[in-house]
Amino acid sequence: MSEKGEVDLTGAKQNTGVWLVKVPKYLSQQWAKASGRGEVGKLRIGKNQGKAEVEFTLNEDLTMIDSLGNKPSGVQAPRDHPFTMQTVGGQTLAVFTETQSESSKERISLEGLVVQRAECRPAVSENYMKLKRLQIEELSKPVRLSQQLEKAVTTNYKPVANHSYNLEYDRKKKEEGKRARVDKQQVLDMLFSAFEKHQYYNIKDLVDITKQPVSYLKEILRDIGIYNVKGTHKNTWELKPEYRHYQGGEEEEKETDD
Amino acid sequence: MASLGGSSSSSTEYIVRVPKNTSKKYSIMAFNSGDKVNCSSWTQARMERDMSNRRMYGVEETEEGAAGSEFGKKQREEARRKKFGIVTREFKVEDQPWILKVNGKAGKRFKGTKKGGITENASYYIFTQCPDGAFEAFPVNGWYNFVPQAKHRTLTAEEAEEEWGRRNKVVNHFSIMLQRRLREQERGPDDDDEEGEKGGKKKKKKGGRGGDLRIHDLEDDLELSSDESDSSGGEDGDSKPKKKEGDVKGKGKKKKKKRGSDSEANEDSDDGDFEGLEVDYMSDESSSEEEVGEEKAKSNKEAVPKGIDEASESEEESEEEKQNEEEGKEEEEEEEGKKTPVQTKKKRDSSGESDTSEDSDIDGEAASALFMVKRTPPKRGGGRGSGGSSRTGSRPGTPSIDSTSTSNTLRAAASKLEQGKRQVVGGSSESPAAKRLKMESSSTAVTTQSPAPSGKSTPQPPSGKSTPSSSDVQLTEEAVRRYLIRKPMTTKDLLKKFQTKRTGLSSEQTVNVLAQILKRLNPERKNVNDKMHFYLTE
Repeated sequence: MSEKGEVDLTGAKQNTGVWLVKVPKYLSQQWAKASGRGEVGKLRIGKNQGKAEVEFTLNEDLTMIDSLGNKPSGVQAPRDHPFTMQTVGGQTLAVFTETQSESSKERISLEGLVVQRAECRPAVSENYMKLKRLQIEELSKPVRLSQQLEKAVTTNYKPVANHSYNLEYDRKKKEEGKRARVDKQQVLDMLFSAFEKHQYYNIKDLVDITKQPVSYLKEILRDIGIYNVKGTHKNTWELKPEYRHYQGGEEEEKETDD
Repeated sequence: MASLGGSSSSSTEYIVRVPKNTSKKYSIMAFNSGDKVNCSSWTQARMERDMSNRRMYGVEETEEGAAGSEFGKKQREEARRKKFGIVTREFKVEDQPWILKVNGKAGKRFKGTKKGGITENASYYIFTQCPDGAFEAFPVNGWYNFVPQAKHRTLTAEEAEEEWGRRNKVVNHFSIMLQRRLREQERGPDDDDEEGEKGGKKKKKKGGRGGDLRIHDLEDDLELSSDESDSSGGEDGDSKPKKKEGDVKGKGKKKKKKRGSDSEANEDSDDGDFEGLEVDYMSDESSSEEEVGEEKAKSNKEAVPKGIDEASESEEESEEEKQNEEEGKEEEEEEEGKKTPVQTKKKRDSSGESDTSEDSDIDGEAASALFMVKRTPPKRGGGRGSGGSSRTGSRPGTPSIDSTSTSNTLRAAASKLEQGKRQVVGGSSESPAAKRLKMESSSTAVTTQSPAPSGKSTPQPPSGKSTPSSSDVQLTEEAVRRYLIRKPMTTKDLLKKFQTKRTGLSSEQTVNVLAQILKRLNPERKNVNDKMHFYLTE
């Protein structure tokens, strides 16, 4: 995708100016509840004696605060929010967007530069105080809770002569029976194909793969393989060098007639 | 809308919308205002996530597949990690830094790291004004701080610490990076002419001043030389040829380069720094090829008494690692050999083993005497001579005298050495006297080294050591080739071999011709003891 990574610079070229506004959490939550086209309120920009005054008024229908669990609380969000204007000095802030469309073409484009920073503050009112109180109450609830039980829990682990799970296991073992020795050649085949995949094997793993009794397997292994006692591959079996054909991932099987 | 009575105030109302269901995710790209980033000046830009932190599970581990792998290793490793409670953080693509490249390959590069915690307590919104006058607010998804990435080389932490320790002595800070580049070049031998040039410029700077104010003590040189020889004695001669070549080739270039590290110490002309400078220089001499090269260059460049040149050359040679006792002895001989005959001999002898730094102490004297008077001509970049100049500069009036006094004893030892060398090319059993002079402390180093270099010099003892006492030595490609085949030498060493007295050329000419020859030969380089040695294998 040659497109990927290419940044669309139209916003930067046009020098589009945007505002970066810091909004309180509860307000953004209310905004998320907006319906329709997403209208959330009105912004009034005025010039009062030479100073710019910006104020945001929340729409009436968005003032219902939901407490935890989406239950309507009795609290109403304040409506008036004056903006505190700040300068952008000290940093050059640009705004970029990532668009991920269904065709998985991710496009990055520069939308513009921040020309004004602002903070949205709630006008202090009775409503706001109540809201804050609600927030504090919710936050102060401990995350973990200790609860006393009246009766002891007796449903989980009962003392039994033999647990059902154990019984099953025993039965399964009996079915399998002791591992029977098969032809040596067959075992060798199995071993060689196993060693094709990996170089070092634990004896237990080999027993699992070949399903042979341990002593029989060991006999065979002693013929064709060596036991690593020390080094990185401790206590592992590997094929003798003459049986090996590892070539950078490529392997060939070497069979020997016994 | 409403206007309050009296004061001028007017206000307009705009509708604020928070659009839903936008597939666009907004983020902030923050630049430091000091970087003076002007987005409108960008012609094109590319931005991608920096995936360098992604650790593919299993990639770090040993190879998969048959050879060398174990059955069930993966599972076992994972179980082990869980047992120890090692929790690997998941690699989240959205949290990875951005790499922004502006204006193509030659333009700027920025790295944008995500700033954490901006959405925790408050939300940021971007207010843009729509054509219809309403404002649209988009929530900010992430904040990335973009910092420009340096394209120029920077020092690593260890290197920076080193340089910090020498901050009072180093005058020319450009040379620091030059040195570093030189070192890297050695590891991968390439032609570093460009570097030589750059170094050359610096050397010029330094060289110009280098010759003047050297406060130097013979004893200091002696002591320090021995120290240096000790330190550098361990190296083999392979680096010598490299060094030599570097020295000679870059007369202006390489020498300058080499001067780089040396010059740093040498250029300083503050009184208080001198002692330190000298000490530093001396102690570093053996370790830095430049010094050797410089000295060589200096010796070559200066049109000063040949004796001085020879002495400096021999000094340089001795400064380099003591390959073996033989070499050391040769150097000794050379040092003393301010007087032509003996020196020539030594030079010839040490052609193969010029790198011994055993003689460094004696060389030091000689060098200081030599370089005292040397004023490296600007285009030579003086850098080469920085090491030498420092030495020579400090002793304006006494070069010959000093050399003479020591040379007598040394020469005697040297001649002995030569004899021994001639006979036992490889054997390091040269006259003990000379040896002891130089390498008391480094005897062990020397002895260990001796077998190897001896072996090298063995093949052509007679041819290599054709040092007729009074005959002229031609500075030919053949001679240089011979030397370089026998043993790696630095440019300093090579210069010592072709003393101006013997070849009949001036030091400048010698340097020039030697540089040309080295260019033609194009020997391989090796960095030994921080000095670039040249060698040929044929």
